[in-house]
Amino acid sequence: MSSIAEILWVEKYRPRTLDDIVNQREVVERLKLFVKEKNMPHLLFAGPPGTGKTTAAHALAHDLYGETYRHYMLELNASDERGINVIREKVKEFARSRAPENVPFKIVLLDESDNMTSDAQQALRRLMELYTVSTRFILVANYPSKIIDPIQSRCAFFRFTALKKEDIVGRLRYIIENEGVRYEDEALDAIYEISEGDMRKAINILQAAASLGMVTVESVFKVVGMARPREVREMIRLALSGDFTGSRNMLRKLMIEYGLSGEDVVKQIHREIFSQELKIPEELRVLIADYLGEIHFRLVEGSDEDIQLAALLAWLALLGKRSQM
Amino acid sequence: MSERKIPWIIKYRPKRVDDVIGQDEAKKTIISWLTEWAKGRIPYKKALLLYGPPGVGKTSLVEAIARELNFDILELNASDYRRKSDIRRIVGTAATKKPLLKKGLIILLDEVDGIDPRADEGGLEALVDVIKNTINPIIMTANDPWKEQFRVLRELCELVDFKELTENQIIALLQKICDSEKIYCEREALRWIASRSMGDARAAINDLQAVAEGYGKVTIGLVRAIVRGREKTINIWRTLNEIFYANQAWAAKKAVTQSEEDYESLIRWLNDNIPKKYSDPLDLFRAYDALARATVMLSRAKISGEWGLLSYVFDLMGPGVSLARRSEEILKTRYGFPDWIRLMAQLKPMREEREKLAEHLSYRILASKSTIMNEVIPYMMLIFRNPSDPVIAARLALGYNLSKDMIKYLAGDNTENVIRALEKIKRARPEEVGKETKREPEKREARKEKSSKGLDYFIKS
Repeated sequence: MSSIAEILWVEKYRPRTLDDIVNQREVVERLKLFVKEKNMPHLLFAGPPGTGKTTAAHALAHDLYGETYRHYMLELNASDERGINVIREKVKEFARSRAPENVPFKIVLLDESDNMTSDAQQALRRLMELYTVSTRFILVANYPSKIIDPIQSRCAFFRFTALKKEDIVGRLRYIIENEGVRYEDEALDAIYEISEGDMRKAINILQAAASLGMVTVESVFKVVGMARPREVREMIRLALSGDFTGSRNMLRKLMIEYGLSGEDVVKQIHREIFSQELKIPEELRVLIADYLGEIHFRLVEGSDEDIQLAALLAWLALLGKRSQM
Repeated sequence: MSERKIPWIIKYRPKRVDDVIGQDEAKKTIISWLTEWAKGRIPYKKALLLYGPPGVGKTSLVEAIARELNFDILELNASDYRRKSDIRRIVGTAATKKPLLKKGLIILLDEVDGIDPRADEGGLEALVDVIKNTINPIIMTANDPWKEQFRVLRELCELVDFKELTENQIIALLQKICDSEKIYCEREALRWIASRSMGDARAAINDLQAVAEGYGKVTIGLVRAIVRGREKTINIWRTLNEIFYANQAWAAKKAVTQSEEDYESLIRWLNDNIPKKYSDPLDLFRAYDALARATVMLSRAKISGEWGLLSYVFDLMGPGVSLARRSEEILKTRYGFPDWIRLMAQLKPMREEREKLAEHLSYRILASKSTIMNEVIPYMMLIFRNPSDPVIAARLALGYNLSKDMIKYLAGDNTENVIRALEKIKRARPEEVGKETKREPEKREARKEKSSKGLDYFIKS
């Protein structure tokens, strides 16, 4: 009996084995060799978001250890772990745990490793050396240049490239067939354009659009627009029109409604100011971005989000007034 | 739909004499004096002047006694009777009429010190005349009866002293209210409110209600942030004025450093009051820019422990905000209380729910919490907030075994619809309830192995 419970398509249609992965061919071929030899060095997977880095790591582990592979893989995310000390403790504990039967090592998967400071990366390097007998590290990163050289030199490097149109559209068609989605062809082109080669994004857009009914170019754009809170644009518009208090109320509503952090709001604004849907004089976009970057840095530094964002809105109000004159 | 809230100072107004806290002397005096009237005798003094600080129960006690001794009451506020003609017409008439049903009629003149001897010329003299001629008991209340102009009036009255309530008396009162409202409260919080009220039960109850109704509980943290002494509010307004109206840097800096308000809450006050005073966009930006940089300095001081940097914080929040103003205009808008603390109270649970959801999903979606928050949750929200098809959302909720709070976070206004659809599915397919949906059947075996791992481990070793 088919289940009535549903899961997100990004999970449902994630490739499980290396054979399932149809793109990133060179990468996959090399990884298959490791499975065959049951040995591998530390690995560094680098490439843009949604290109299958984490998926490939899981598929590799799956092929090495079988269905229970997650017992033999420690999954860490540098953005979620609190500092290198926590990571060290977890690795230490993991290295002591049960070894797999037919493979002489276990895997430590460290996602978003380029989010670590270089000091933390130095500590990580020592960690990699310390446990190199029993474990292999797979480091996943968007920007390999942010990984320090001593780590890069200890890893086999794998570059993941943005997915090609036929890969994305092909996968979307496969899902569409399986799910019985009604759609028009142009919508798939639109999804590909918006996704910029990011499979996760493409599939999420497809699922959200399908939940609204037939997947059309229009519904795709609707979904993309709605996935960004409309309050962001409204807040910017109010500020530029000179209504500081109105835009600030909108800001606070936005944060409460979605539980956003100050940094989230900054990122949303950033996306918005370079979108063509926001009709403002071109040079204003740069003036806003300049101050926005400063505010972003201050938030990272830990200063008060409500006040920093207020300053930003006041800046927008001032720019708005000047551009009218 | 929302029920109208009765102010607690009315809801918990003492009904019986015993309900009035303390003031035993005053109770005795008033009761024996009124008992004389009830017996048809006219006491030596035909009027009482009850005096004491505000909110200690002067008026409530008179009302309670009147009820118990079966007196009628004619209650007038200073604004009702301040003019000579009003006093003659209203008070004078009442003072010379015998009530028919009750034992007597008390004429209660509240806040008699509200009569201004100059503006309400002749008012006090008229009152003196009325007292001389009354055949009914007259009771007056005042905060400060010792001013020279009340001398004649004082001589005609028996003075009844009302004591400031002690902290413990107020705490007990607040505790009783919390109990009867079934509101969680911390003793420390009540003590804070009580000490700020300076013996004024009315003020304390108002403060209690403000916190309790805003947050559903009364904790020391909330109370510290919200309740301030009456004195302090005036101080903060003075400080804000000194900052906003200063023309010289030293004056603005002095306003900050000499303020009784600590600098962190002063920053909060400035944050919410700059737009109430500055309207020109340039002024507004320059002021917020200065304040924003003050908080940058502050966080640097905190992180580095270099508290010498604090001086620059003061420079920016005082003179920085003050001298930001280039235009002559300062708005007349009244100062408002900072909103941010209340907002944070709403924001925090939403943020926590978002984090929890991201954490919950990250094992399945294979991405970091931040990726899930920014790249996955927005699309889920869209599905969950689509009012025309709550079933898809409900199926996802089932597939990920989402808690009610998670559903609520995702679905917002559409929550009811999704929950209803979910209940329906659960009734129709009870076998799927409570277990997370796995993608493929072999995952279930994986789970089985995990649970037997412990035993396995021992056998192998």
